[in-house]
Amino acid sequence: MLKEKLQKFFKLDRRWIFLLLAIVLFAPIIKPIGLPNKTISRDVQNAYTYMDTLAPGSFVLFSLDYDPSTRPELQPQAIAMIRHAFQKNLRVGVVTYIAGATGLIQQAFEKVPKEYNKVYGKDYVIFPYMANAVAVLTQMSSDFYGIYDKDQDGTDARTLPVMQGIKNYKNMALVVNITGTSMLDIWVAYVGDKYKVPVIGGVTAISQPGYGPYLQTGQLKGLIGGMKGAAEYESLIKQPGKGTSGIDSLNLAHLLVLALILTSNIILLIIKYL
Amino acid sequence: MSETWMIAGAWIAAGLTIFLFSFLYKDNPFFKIAEHLYLGAGMGWWFQVYVYNILGPKVWTPLVVNHDWMVLIPAVLGISLVTQFIPKISWISRYGFTFLMGYGSGLAIPASLSTDFINQIGGTIKPLSMMASMTPFAIFNSLLIAFGVVCVLFYFFFSVEHKGHVKTVSNIGIYFLMIYFGAAFGNTVMARFSLLYGRFDDLYTFSDKHYFYASQLIMLAMVVYFLVHNFMGKDKKEVTEDEAAG
Repeated sequence: MLKEKLQKFFKLDRRWIFLLLAIVLFAPIIKPIGLPNKTISRDVQNAYTYMDTLAPGSFVLFSLDYDPSTRPELQPQAIAMIRHAFQKNLRVGVVTYIAGATGLIQQAFEKVPKEYNKVYGKDYVIFPYMANAVAVLTQMSSDFYGIYDKDQDGTDARTLPVMQGIKNYKNMALVVNITGTSMLDIWVAYVGDKYKVPVIGGVTAISQPGYGPYLQTGQLKGLIGGMKGAAEYESLIKQPGKGTSGIDSLNLAHLLVLALILTSNIILLIIKYL
Repeated sequence: MSETWMIAGAWIAAGLTIFLFSFLYKDNPFFKIAEHLYLGAGMGWWFQVYVYNILGPKVWTPLVVNHDWMVLIPAVLGISLVTQFIPKISWISRYGFTFLMGYGSGLAIPASLSTDFINQIGGTIKPLSMMASMTPFAIFNSLLIAFGVVCVLFYFFFSVEHKGHVKTVSNIGIYFLMIYFGAAFGNTVMARFSLLYGRFDDLYTFSDKHYFYASQLIMLAMVVYFLVHNFMGKDKKEVTEDEAAG
């Protein structure tokens, strides 16, 4: 009798699980619970420390290579790192090799520089989208302006105060690549390793485990993974953003998955052995 | 961007998201509309990216405005790839492909060998030579990584029959691989939840009165559609059953 009742569990319409998951993810958006995000991973801490120890005025090149499909994970990472760069009075240059990133870059830079009174052209610059990343990255090693002679508005890049003293990778203190593609591999192989430029990565949670070997060898100075990584970086710079607010939902959703896995396994064991 | 466009954008974004999610309940025409729009809009968007970001600044302007005739060489090589679609002259495309292969291999092979092969071997061995200055945990970690690398390599070494000690080592390699796949799958689940959270967060934003309650109204319209559709579907089913019985 009990077994028959329990068997029904496995015939449960999966749409109920979808609904439950939707409620669990949506509820904290309406009413945040404020679950703590206490652990800071070593790789995020390393990324933060590296950026934090750069001298004011150093030039950091942000390669923001993600499109709306990975925005929830990567945009909070980008915003947190840009905020940190502005906090430290670093000069910021932005490039992209993903056409879909241009709108997201614009969205981020409409808001963040104003928080720190940063001026376009003096403190930061945005370059237009370029196709064929490998060719562009290789060319930039000898002459940055051979590729980026103009900024996104068509202004001569050489005349911008933010670009003073920047000719190639040797003049850059750090490259930050936030990407939902394999761009980070390209930055490590064609720039980081070849020209000894420090590279920090920000990737989706799916890609995160694959970059472990680059961290072990020091080819990456730090790595931010997924929304959790963004939340960790936000807590390090003490500016909660979309990453932190997503932690409630992620925690609850993971608890739901764990509960479902445990419940179904216990039921299966009862059916099999009782 | 004007306020009206922002509101229109919110309605379109909320509508398309809800239409696509409605498939989780069941297939419906709204899902099909969103699916086809995605494909069509995506193609159109890529077309304008190629025209305005590549063809214009990289080919048209240098040739027509700056009279830089050197651009003709890569342009012709690029166009040669299109001859693939015309069988009689498809042989011309080989020149473009030859260039791509040569250029791509020349750039990629040394970089990959250095980054993913030599550096990784070095990274695995180097800690073993620095044990005197390492903590016991770091020593254990380095040995575990080196042991794991050897076991996994044995698993992918097919020139020796996997039996006896070789089988034991390659079996251990499977466990290392499974741990990696487990971690990767766990992270994949987290990534998917993050993406879903992102859409829900947007839907919540668009549910504000500033956007004229876009999310709620579209959701309500979808619920009404499904109710009406189910109700009418039942009627049709009953008629068919009656006809069959008659």
